[in-house]
Amino acid sequence: MITALLIIHGVLAVFLIGAITHQTLGVFWPRRPGQTDFVAKARGINPAGYVNAILVLYLLTFALGAFLYPTYRVYVRPPLQDLMLTYAIGLFEIKENFAAIGLALLPSYWYFWKKAPEFSTTRRFLVAIFFFMIWYNFIAGHLLNNVRGFA
Amino acid sequence: MNINRIAARAFPAFAIGFALYYAPAYSFTGATSAFTWPLFTYFPAVDMWNWGLVPGNDTIGPPMWWYGWICAAILVGLVFAVISLLLPERAIQRALATLVWLVPICAFVFLLNWELPWFFPMWKPIWFS
Repeated sequence: MITALLIIHGVLAVFLIGAITHQTLGVFWPRRPGQTDFVAKARGINPAGYVNAILVLYLLTFALGAFLYPTYRVYVRPPLQDLMLTYAIGLFEIKENFAAIGLALLPSYWYFWKKAPEFSTTRRFLVAIFFFMIWYNFIAGHLLNNVRGFA
Repeated sequence: MNINRIAARAFPAFAIGFALYYAPAYSFTGATSAFTWPLFTYFPAVDMWNWGLVPGNDTIGPPMWWYGWICAAILVGLVFAVISLLLPERAIQRALATLVWLVPICAFVFLLNWELPWFFPMWKPIWFS
């Protein structure tokens, strides 16, 4: 059951990665007229169109991660401590902190994208923050999932 | 009052209050902390909840404070949101639009100072003490 939920958590994170990456590319590196290659198509999106998807995916991924956290605390972290893999614990600590602060930023993220077009700088910073957090959490999650193989 | 006008102040203020509480809560929580940063403690090994900060032991297993930090930070965020609604809209809206991304970035830097010992055991968090 826990393994299945962990896989769903990972799959939702993949969708979230895709959405935030498209939005970030659309904001910071928009497609110029005439560009038709594969990468340009990935950039040629309406960034505002991804806001609700990112919000819902973030909430779902967060909720599932929060549900799985006790299993990590009881069954995963103690062996990491025994193996002196403190860096792996640190990776998770940063991940949980990003996730929590990202959760609190969601209402503002939605507001500045949907209701306050005049604050473009705020929107850009919020997208950059979410891009960094989500990518970090995705990579850290995968490293943790595989860390016993590194030990 | 228009819902957009409420959101313009309350949402950023909530995020700011949350980050301002969460970062020190994570950083300063320990088994012997003088202040009860988490609202409650969860012991996942025995599925037990306790109000406030409770250290773990061999009987009840390791404590989880993350849920308690988040709930406490939500309360602080809500207080910030209410206070923001009492302040003049024009005066604070632009400041909140900047602080809403600046404060979380500062919180990440602050947190990193306390997360580095996991990667560099010799690292001593820089703090006024």
